[in-house]
Amino acid sequence: MNDQDNIFLDSFIRLLDDVSGLAAVRAVHHGGDTTAIWDKILHSGFVDALVPEAHGGGGLSRAEVAPLLSAAGRSLLPLAFGHTAVARLLIADAGETLPIGGPILLWPLNDGGTLRSQVAPAFFEAGHALVQRGRSFQLLPLKRGDAVDGFGFLAATLDSDAVALLDYSADGYCLLNWAAALAALASAGATARTIEMSLQHVTERRQFGRPLGNFQAIQHLASQAAEQSVLAGTAARMAFSGSGVAIDELRVAMAKSLTASAAADVSRIAHALHGAIGISEEHDLQLYTRQLKRWQLSFGAQAFWAERIGAARLAEPEGSSVDFIRERLAPLRV
Amino acid sequence: MVTFDHAFRTTALPAEAEDFRGEVKAFLAKNFLSRPPHMCARSWAGFDADFSRALGAQGWLGLTLPTRYGGGGKDGFFRFVLVEELLGVGAPVAAHWIGDRQSAPLLLHYGTNEQRDYFLPRICSGELFFCIGMSEPNSGSDLASVRTRATHDGNDWRLNGSKIWTTYAHKAHYMIALVRTSGTTEDRQKGLSQFLIDLQAPGVTIRPIVDLCGDAHFSEVFFEDVRLPGSALVGTEGDGWKQVNAELAFERSGPERVYSSIVLLDLWTQYLSSSAAAGAAHRILLGQFLARLAALREMSIAITGRLTEGESPAIEAALIKDLGTTLEQEIPVEIATLLADPDQLVDEEMMRTLAYVMQVSPAYSLRGGTREILRSMIARGLGLR
Repeated sequence: MNDQDNIFLDSFIRLLDDVSGLAAVRAVHHGGDTTAIWDKILHSGFVDALVPEAHGGGGLSRAEVAPLLSAAGRSLLPLAFGHTAVARLLIADAGETLPIGGPILLWPLNDGGTLRSQVAPAFFEAGHALVQRGRSFQLLPLKRGDAVDGFGFLAATLDSDAVALLDYSADGYCLLNWAAALAALASAGATARTIEMSLQHVTERRQFGRPLGNFQAIQHLASQAAEQSVLAGTAARMAFSGSGVAIDELRVAMAKSLTASAAADVSRIAHALHGAIGISEEHDLQLYTRQLKRWQLSFGAQAFWAERIGAARLAEPEGSSVDFIRERLAPLRV
Repeated sequence: MVTFDHAFRTTALPAEAEDFRGEVKAFLAKNFLSRPPHMCARSWAGFDADFSRALGAQGWLGLTLPTRYGGGGKDGFFRFVLVEELLGVGAPVAAHWIGDRQSAPLLLHYGTNEQRDYFLPRICSGELFFCIGMSEPNSGSDLASVRTRATHDGNDWRLNGSKIWTTYAHKAHYMIALVRTSGTTEDRQKGLSQFLIDLQAPGVTIRPIVDLCGDAHFSEVFFEDVRLPGSALVGTEGDGWKQVNAELAFERSGPERVYSSIVLLDLWTQYLSSSAAAGAAHRILLGQFLARLAALREMSIAITGRLTEGESPAIEAALIKDLGTTLEQEIPVEIATLLADPDQLVDEEMMRTLAYVMQVSPAYSLRGGTREILRSMIARGLGLR
């Protein structure tokens, strides 16, 4: 599937342009209401893109949906679109009837009952979370956190006193892998957009009588950023392959660690290319780089995920590295 | 499109090409008597004419050439699989490498019927090995400044000048060289042409250059009134620059820009799997290397697909080469950082292989176009030049 052949992508991007302009993103970041945005997303039907047609969904392949998820990241869509799309797939597969129409966050818990992420998903008026603890899945209400986190986002918290709207058991998949895959795709999209903003800036901004982009030091920074972006985008697409309700852990590990590295590198370069103006709240660059850094820390960063790949390799050290990456990291066929 | 979002289309290796992998593995298991890892680590700088001829006998040189020229009639994906398997075990492929990768496709595209009929079957059998004459003593990255000159001499040409850093010129039969046929260095890309040069011809002197590891894989080549027949011209007189640039995507996007340190990585992996010293730092590093390798491999397959469709994505190839050689160079640096624990017992072959790759790896981002030139090319692709 090539992006240019993806008819869904065009209409989804038109929808994003309508609901997720940077003014709307800023408004939501400042605590604005997301109901109107969510209504348009919900009515578009894209939230059921991953749900099989047999369950009344769109039945799109992961290869078709991946560019949509990156596009949402690219536009900083201030809503749990990807999380909701995956939650609806998993709930439908479990044979459960979804009692709500609002956004749903994926909420993997460890054995101790703690969220498996150093930063909680941004609240963005998401009403509910699909919570996994071992084999147990519950749909629980969320509430607005007490204060903004270190990145200036209002994080969501579980309403632990509430009664679960759904409560069922399921096997064979892990919400942490899904949440990390979604962060990887969103991050890849926002990374590419961050570079485009930087290219525009160095083309327009002049110093010493010529555009910044004429300086070789600037050109080489931009080239390295573009390289990291392509690597990240490739890895994120590779991870979002295969089908069914599970997403492969090692491929997600590759995508999350490479997109997190790229987010860090590209944020650094984008700020270097923008100079002081990029540090200001008023400039839009911070909307992207703050979000990129937050995604980097969400649901496991580079070391956590890379170690999983290294451990898997050392558990089967007989073959060559080439055989390992072909068999364990190349995209799964549907 | 500025950030190449659409340039690396998801491309799967076709099933037939994947099936071919089994044949290659079986052949290597039978014919490639493994050498010590520090020799295999020479990767595509390892020269073994007999091994190349064995590949030729198998029909695997010129795999993408038409069968009427003795080629395999397969697409670029088959060649990707073959090259990946060869490099993956550190097979010595240097003898046929340039002819197979570059000279044969160039002659197929730009050569005369006579050139194709004579050279292509001999490249495919492993009878003739090729080298490429590009750099000169005063022309490295600035290739358009070459001074070696061919002048008309009746129906023939007369060649004077020299080439340097030419890979295995001292073991090759022919060179395809970029030389000036009109104008001066002031004319830059205009007035350059490509020639087939018989390296046995009178007036050709070849001096191997020993590298910092003691190997001699490149040479300096002197031309003193070398007489070239009119039939030695490749393509169109004056079109040399354009023809050379058409090769670049082939030269810069293949697995050889990603796998140069793979033998060291495999050896280190074996060491870790049998060592009590392997901890989280080792697993993290190994995982990061494998993740990057896998994504780069996917990008290389995507470009193979575009080349197979007749496109020439030179900037995307430059992007792969910069990312790939950066990884190839980080592998020895990072392994060394973790390995040199004075209280750990590390076997000698591991250290010897590491030493080799540590020393030679700076060349990875020099050969085939320096990193700094590539980054400027990519910047042009981004609209900054």
